[in-house]
Amino acid sequence: MATEPSGSAASQTAVADPAGGAGSSGAGPRRHWWHIGGIFGFIVRRTLLGVLVLFLVSLIVFAATQALGDPARAILGRTATPASLAALHKQLHLDQPVFQQYWNWITGLLHGDAGTSLAAQIPVTDYLKDRVVNSAFLVLVAGGISIPLSVAIGSYAALHRDRPFDVITSIVTLAFAALPEFVVGLLLVFFFSTNVTHWLPAIAAPGKRPWQDLEGMILPVTVLVIAVTPYVVRIMRASMIEVLESDYVEMARLKGLPEREVLVRHALPNALGPTFQVIAINLAYLAGGVIIVEYLFNFAGIGGAIRDSVFNNDLPLVQALAMLIAALYVVLNLLADIATILVTPRLRTRL
Amino acid sequence: MANRRPVRLDSLDDLPLSRRELLMGAGGLALAGTLAACGGGSSSSSGGGGTSGGGGTPKPGGNFRLGVTGGGAKDIIDGQSIITKPDQARLMASWETLLVYDEQYKLTTDGLAQEVTQDKPDQWTIKLRSGITFNNGKSLTADDVIYSIQRILNPKEGLFGGAGLSSVDPNNMQKMDNLTVRLKLKNPDSTIGDQLGQYYNGIVPKGYSRTNNLKWVGTGPFITTSFQPGQQSSHKKNPNYWRTGQPYFDTVTVTDFADPTAQVNALLAGQIDAMTDIPFAQIEVAKQHGGLSILEGQGGGWLPLCMAVDMAPFTDPKVRQAMRLIVDRNAMLEQVLSGHGRVANDMYSPFDPAYPSSTPQRTQDIEQAKSLLKQAGQDGMTVDLHTTDGAAGMVDSANVFAQQAKAAGITVNVKNDPNYYGNQYLKLAFSVDFWGTRQYLPQVANGSIPTAPYNECHWPPKSGTGSDFVSLYHQALSEPDATKRTDIIHTMYGEEFSDGGYIIPFFNNLVDAYSSKISGFQVNRGTLNLDSFGHGYRTIWFSS
Repeated sequence: MATEPSGSAASQTAVADPAGGAGSSGAGPRRHWWHIGGIFGFIVRRTLLGVLVLFLVSLIVFAATQALGDPARAILGRTATPASLAALHKQLHLDQPVFQQYWNWITGLLHGDAGTSLAAQIPVTDYLKDRVVNSAFLVLVAGGISIPLSVAIGSYAALHRDRPFDVITSIVTLAFAALPEFVVGLLLVFFFSTNVTHWLPAIAAPGKRPWQDLEGMILPVTVLVIAVTPYVVRIMRASMIEVLESDYVEMARLKGLPEREVLVRHALPNALGPTFQVIAINLAYLAGGVIIVEYLFNFAGIGGAIRDSVFNNDLPLVQALAMLIAALYVVLNLLADIATILVTPRLRTRL
Repeated sequence: MANRRPVRLDSLDDLPLSRRELLMGAGGLALAGTLAACGGGSSSSSGGGGTSGGGGTPKPGGNFRLGVTGGGAKDIIDGQSIITKPDQARLMASWETLLVYDEQYKLTTDGLAQEVTQDKPDQWTIKLRSGITFNNGKSLTADDVIYSIQRILNPKEGLFGGAGLSSVDPNNMQKMDNLTVRLKLKNPDSTIGDQLGQYYNGIVPKGYSRTNNLKWVGTGPFITTSFQPGQQSSHKKNPNYWRTGQPYFDTVTVTDFADPTAQVNALLAGQIDAMTDIPFAQIEVAKQHGGLSILEGQGGGWLPLCMAVDMAPFTDPKVRQAMRLIVDRNAMLEQVLSGHGRVANDMYSPFDPAYPSSTPQRTQDIEQAKSLLKQAGQDGMTVDLHTTDGAAGMVDSANVFAQQAKAAGITVNVKNDPNYYGNQYLKLAFSVDFWGTRQYLPQVANGSIPTAPYNECHWPPKSGTGSDFVSLYHQALSEPDATKRTDIIHTMYGEEFSDGGYIIPFFNNLVDAYSSKISGFQVNRGTLNLDSFGHGYRTIWFSS
């Protein structure tokens, strides 16, 4: 997907982005009284912006979930009678005005109470607790493997541009990027679990937490690594090439710095900036996009909960999951921006 | 199968008396006793037969791991209620009914009751076996039976079994002695025995509720030890189970699967021992893979296309008849179920002793259909057919019918609505629904009279053929003589066949898969998968 030209285009926008909101105030001496400078001020401003985004998301989520239909009817299904519907409406507070429902929900959420799952009849937080931890474990393990791996592969390919390693990497990453996760997953299961060999389990061990079932985690993690790595490799390679051709790397070399120092101190940090953005987006994607992987390996994470909650019109659960994933996007983007600024000193001068 | 039941009983079934009459009629007492003794006695030595290769003497031990699709956060454990398919699998581990349907879908006294007798048209007597205890150590008594039936009938509980037992007077159940209960009915009803054999009418201890400390207490072969909705439940062997020698497994684990592909993979990789509802496309894969077996139950489940007889354009019987002549049943069976079923004849309850199997098979006749539509002034009509993903095949059935209808010059628009059961169900002129196996009169009570909870066709019509259907139904309920009752049922079947609102193209099979290491599974006609989940996991065992 990330061909070379679009890769560098992405890197440019990504580098420009952290300056984003604060950019207009520029580097000049005129600043508003409330404008806290430096990296700390940047974090505070971005956090406040994130809160605003989440508030807007909460409005959209609430409005959108109203359109899912009557959850009481979905729960009772074929057995609904007017009496049981009315009783359930009352029990679920669906008889209150919409604004009141939103207010109850949002204040509850701020107190860490996401309501009660309509289908499971237990608090949403209890229902999601283990699943969130399971999914987070899966995503973090996959991220922990794929990020260093792809940074290393991408850098190496950039340093050995147009040599066999680079060419092969390019073809392989393009091929993997083109394969949907479920195809990769099915192929891995076919080869390692069910048909060709029986080396690995085909599903995550039922009833076990992922860290108790490391053998069962191998295939799901591999699928996620294969899903994410190609994009990061390609963006890393593109931005590394751009940096290697830049004036300051040239300058460093001309000054006679050892090549190792040129790469580690000057090239790599600058190349990582745009890569962080891609990593953040990919990690956020993993959190929501693990649905297929969780399905295929019958993994008890939030992926199954998302599908189940929509299917059951389980409003509190749908809302909590939507907010969770939105918050994750906001937090990961914030972290990526901070990391980008930390590794790119020239951006700090514009804060 | 032959090993489990005395040969003599099979031949008795061929007598022109209904099985219910034999088991529970006034003259059936002695026989019922015999049956009970045989059922109880043979169960401990039951073996062989079945479809699995192993056979031989049952071996104790092992953890049986079952994978079930269709569950989720909605999963519950309740001795008298289910919401999802994994709920059925869990209910069967811990609860039992007074009477039991066998593999041939015949009612037997192989359950908690030693005998169940219709003493008078409006009075039934239940005599329990002695020495049965719940898995918390308490003895099963008449009080528990009274409580169980009262709970089923309590509208606040919203239990499915309530409709079928509605003629029982909840305030007029008498405890004759510690093991005997007399049910007084509000009106004559010959179907109480059938209802007491439905798996969801389990017997729970007095004071039972889904949430209190009795929530997992039943008489069944396994005790629930853990349960996470949408994920997994564990069950351990009930050491005090009343059938000697059973069950064989030490533990049973029921795991929810969101996706059938993962379920098949887990079975192929040996991570589960059996699975429900193998996708048709995977059956050949499983067969080629050594070590797996397929269990195909020729059930009586059906997916009707329902025409409301009081809504246009179906008020005219000619239109209903034309629609039924449009269907190419063989093609539909092939396209919707890949052939895993049997062609049906617009009549339900195929295992009812009164099912008119001699009625000529209705087949596709486009010319006749066109001519009927023309006579009714509806040639070239356009109609909406509403459906949803409520059960596998519902959407496909609608699409195949729409295709076939083109030949008769009519346009059928398929409307697939995820909120179908919430918003429009039972209010539609033309819709698709699903049903499991049930005998004829209990099915009529559930779907074909005005008081039925799920009367999609709004049957019967106010005038013309079928207008006497409700009175025939009540006659059948109060008719003590089986032969006369069969005659009445034949008339009812005839009215539905000629003028009814159902198009019933096929009865679907239940196709499950299991590891060949398991022995004891038998081909079963019942509603539940995997031979009624290995009769509550007690008639199956690890042979290797």
